[in-house]
Amino acid sequence: MAGAQGGIELHGIAETALSAAALASDAGTIETVTGPWWTILIPLLPLAGVVLCMFCAIAGVKTKLPAWLSVGCIGASFVLTVLAYAMFADGAGEITKGWTWIDFGWGDSPGQHITGNFSVLIDNLTLVWMLFVTGLGALIGLYASEYMEHDLGLGYCRFFAAFCLFVFSMACLVMGDNLIMLFMGWEGVGLCSYLLIGYFYKKPSAVAAAKKAFIVNRIGDLGLLIGIFLTFTHFGTLEYRELFAEGGKLAHYVALVKAGHAGEVPLVVQLIPVLLMVGAFGKSAQLPLYVWLPDAMEGPTPVSALIHAATMVTAGVYLVARFFPLFSCSAWALPAVAWVGALTALLSATIGMAQFDIKRIMAYSTVSQLGYMFCGLAVLTPAGGVFHVVTHAFFKASLFLCCGAVMHGFAGQLDLRRVSGLMRMKGWMIVSLAMLVGCLNLSGFPFTSGYFSKDMILAESFVTPGMAPIGWILLFTAGLTAYYTFRVWFRVFVGPVEYEPGEEYHDDEHHADGHDDEHADHGFHPHAPGWAINTVLATLMVASLLAVGLNFVDRSRGGWVGHMLDDSTAAPIGAAAFVAEHGAHAAEHAEAAGEAAHHGSFLGMNPHAVMFYVSAVFGLVGIGAAFWLHYVGRRTAATAKADALLPAMGPVARWAQHKWYVDELYDFVLVKPLWVIGHVFYLLDRLLVDGLVNLAGFVPRWTGRTLRPSQSGELHGYAAQMALGIAFVMIVVVVLLGAAS
Amino acid sequence: MDQLVNPFVLYGAIALGGVGVALALPRRGGSPQVLGALLAALGGVGVLALLGGAASDAGEALPSVYFYLFGAIALAAALRVITHKRPVYAALYFILTILSSAGLYLILSAEFMAFALVIVYAGAILITYLFVIMLATQAPVGGDTSVLAEYDRAAREPVWAAAAGFVLLAGLTTLLFSGARTLAPTGNPASLDLAALPGTIETALREDDLIGAGDKVVIEDDRAAIEYGAVQVERADGTVEEVELPADAAVSNTQSLAYDFLHNHPATIEIAGVILLMAMLGATVLSRRQVILEEEAKQAQMRALGGAG
Amino acid sequence: MTLATAAFGSVTLAHYLFVASALFTIGLVGFLTRRNLIIMFLCTELMFQGAGLALIAFSRFHANYTGQTFVVFVITVAAAEAALALALVVLLFRRRESLSAEEWRELRGGSSCTASRRLH
Repeated sequence: MAGAQGGIELHGIAETALSAAALASDAGTIETVTGPWWTILIPLLPLAGVVLCMFCAIAGVKTKLPAWLSVGCIGASFVLTVLAYAMFADGAGEITKGWTWIDFGWGDSPGQHITGNFSVLIDNLTLVWMLFVTGLGALIGLYASEYMEHDLGLGYCRFFAAFCLFVFSMACLVMGDNLIMLFMGWEGVGLCSYLLIGYFYKKPSAVAAAKKAFIVNRIGDLGLLIGIFLTFTHFGTLEYRELFAEGGKLAHYVALVKAGHAGEVPLVVQLIPVLLMVGAFGKSAQLPLYVWLPDAMEGPTPVSALIHAATMVTAGVYLVARFFPLFSCSAWALPAVAWVGALTALLSATIGMAQFDIKRIMAYSTVSQLGYMFCGLAVLTPAGGVFHVVTHAFFKASLFLCCGAVMHGFAGQLDLRRVSGLMRMKGWMIVSLAMLVGCLNLSGFPFTSGYFSKDMILAESFVTPGMAPIGWILLFTAGLTAYYTFRVWFRVFVGPVEYEPGEEYHDDEHHADGHDDEHADHGFHPHAPGWAINTVLATLMVASLLAVGLNFVDRSRGGWVGHMLDDSTAAPIGAAAFVAEHGAHAAEHAEAAGEAAHHGSFLGMNPHAVMFYVSAVFGLVGIGAAFWLHYVGRRTAATAKADALLPAMGPVARWAQHKWYVDELYDFVLVKPLWVIGHVFYLLDRLLVDGLVNLAGFVPRWTGRTLRPSQSGELHGYAAQMALGIAFVMIVVVVLLGAAS
Repeated sequence: MDQLVNPFVLYGAIALGGVGVALALPRRGGSPQVLGALLAALGGVGVLALLGGAASDAGEALPSVYFYLFGAIALAAALRVITHKRPVYAALYFILTILSSAGLYLILSAEFMAFALVIVYAGAILITYLFVIMLATQAPVGGDTSVLAEYDRAAREPVWAAAAGFVLLAGLTTLLFSGARTLAPTGNPASLDLAALPGTIETALREDDLIGAGDKVVIEDDRAAIEYGAVQVERADGTVEEVELPADAAVSNTQSLAYDFLHNHPATIEIAGVILLMAMLGATVLSRRQVILEEEAKQAQMRALGGAG
Repeated sequence: MTLATAAFGSVTLAHYLFVASALFTIGLVGFLTRRNLIIMFLCTELMFQGAGLALIAFSRFHANYTGQTFVVFVITVAAAEAALALALVVLLFRRRESLSAEEWRELRGGSSCTASRRLH
């Protein structure tokens, strides 16, 4: 394995810089040509799907037609993406302009023209993302056609319209050739997330979860927006073509960093990535803005699978990858990303270990794996990070879809203490196998695609100077991940066959029979998944197994993904600002010690060679623990050996189950004060603003009321008023004459 | 603004007069009318005395005793008009006011106006008023004032009315006095008017044999050249000499007034006539008794007429 | 100058104007105070008196007959007005059997005033 490693020989910072420079002489830059017109259809076809679904809603369609239309549109988009891949991979970035949207200038100097057209940029990074976005979109659309069948009619059309709108927004985000398109897509996916999480709008918890997702995302969006503003003011442009051009400012900064003069990069440029990072953390659910993702499980499972596992949450990773050169120029950005990612991974893994709702566990696992992806980028292996995105997309989607199948079949039952032994039930084999494959990927079982992608990240974290603690945290988390993943599998899919229906069963029975104290589950038959679900799950299972192959294509450049990234802006520069500083010191230190400057090592060994074994060990330990605690000797669904451990852990288990009270903390620190401020302003509005308006209405009435008695109808009154009026005029004249003379 | 008299003293006197009038007005439970009248008189006299003091440096003036006499009677009678409880007496006091006004007109050399005032106002208008009062008012027999109508017995808001009125008076007097200090009587109007009637001068001179038949009065701009009581005469032989005007060459007030009317305001006489005509018609229309005819009576009348004609 | 001379000294235009203004004011106060319709008209006549006196005084002091001419018209109009006014008063008296000006209050605004004492 060590021999087959080959790959990027990173023996020293200087060599790193040289080899990287040789590898990608224009690392951090892209060259662009004008692309063919049909590439603009890739984002526009899902938009057409939205319109078609709206027509279905207007026409009152009650069949699965909206689903077929959506799958058709997204599938066509996928076909076009494959075609684009075939034609343009490894080439220059293709830019196709759809139409002019924002294009005006107020001066002639460079920073006085703002352009934000609806154009798409097809380069390797885009293709990597679009392949799995459209592919998974089509598959999950097919899955949802069966999953949502209980809601045929307007709800169905609404679901698929939002679904297509989401794919369109994601496409805009990923394919846009300027920051304005990216931001539009960013907001669009946030909107669709809101629409889809709150799909069951009659459920208060769903509505609350949708609002939470949107609001927390907004906080991140603020950072992103300010970052975009600063980008424009400093670089004078928002288009990638100009930002990443070879002779541009950014290329200059990158050259400075590569040469070791990281301190000469201006402060604004170091600040921009920090702000973009805030946006990325909001969208990709990292600390401290992750709280919305577990609650987002209130939405239908296809939504969780597509949006909150595979696509929307990877938008943050895409942002960092696209702007990797910029991030590399900042001394704080990448380390901050690394630490936040690592801590998030650890924290959510601990929470996931204590939950009982399998979808929640998967949600926390998503947060945790996103931490891995960010760490991958931060330890200077964008190939590792993006590869993990791709593999995670497939296996997490399949994991969610399996949970969805369980939910669909057991009337909404998701508690792992209530369902057991599914593999032995008729019709559930494919689901169980798909789940097993997904769990193996997630745990990093040797030779699965998840294993290789996680390994790239772990290895590189020990290579890059200063990132070793991150590596240890991630290793430990990998063990926890394996444990909680297989806890789910061992509890739900193997063991004694037991099941209870979920909440939706009682509602149906309630409506059907009218009996309301039937709690026994006799009369309930689990509903095995149909052809659509099984097909999709099988496809995903096969795909996630085959994704291993991606690692072995072009090994010298870090697998297929690494190969793709090399020609995009996400190419590894080989030195980031923090490395340049750190490495310079290490180089001096090492030279003083008489050694050649060396890269980091894992306990004295070459990380790349050793990490395979180490991560495998951690993963197997986790699986073994789950096996021991949750399978061996388990007789019922509700109990297992793990329960014996609970008293020993004391309050820790309870805190973990309550998600470390983070939501409560936020509520206390943020929500309550805002609520108070809101009420204060409400009072101000009612008393002051309304008061002023009412005063404006009150004054004329009061004046009229006061003046009305003078119209008493009495002759003498009128005469007196006349006399006084004349006297007044005379006095005014006297005074004026006196003043004048 | 340069005032004729010290404004504060003036306003003080006016205020005093106002208080007096307010007190003098009739009230339900009896009011100190005499006291009020005295205070008002005091105020009025005060102002006139002030004016007198100021006037001592003003130059030529007019005869004074009759002014004070007639002025006092006029103001006292006017006060009684407004404060008397019985309407008939109010009208009678008004006649007294008119008579004293006529006296004031006389000493202002407006003889025609004085008598016109007495004839028309006191003789016609006030008589009409008296007739209407007697139509509508029940007179108390003896001292029984309870028969008097409520609206006659008590004045309405005397204090506010007096205040309003006397504020107006203060303003009026301030304005008038500021301008009046610059005025003085500018000579005998009769002599100037005489200048507009050269024919009359010639006739008077001939009657007194001061000029011959062929002599003419010098005329400049349609006016005889009169200066300081002497007129320039052009003798028949062409010499111009000054002849003193005889005493009886004056034009009477009536003549001057008539001349002024016809010379300067010819159309207004016609208009005045039209106004009076309209008033007559209006009064006739208004005082017609309304006869309400019933429908059947009207139709019966129509049939009768139709049958007859 | 002694008080006697001061008091009976020269009489100027200002004296006449004061008397005229005082007559006018007394007439105004009477109009505002008295409630008998006929007495109210009488007070307006009193105001005419004051105006007339002022006009005559000005006429004398300006040596101009315009003032006196105007007073002729004032008297003419006063006569016409008195005739019509009294005719109207008679009619009004027939309606209400009372000469009080406070009987006639229909042209008033709003309900917050004191109500008319008698409805018809």
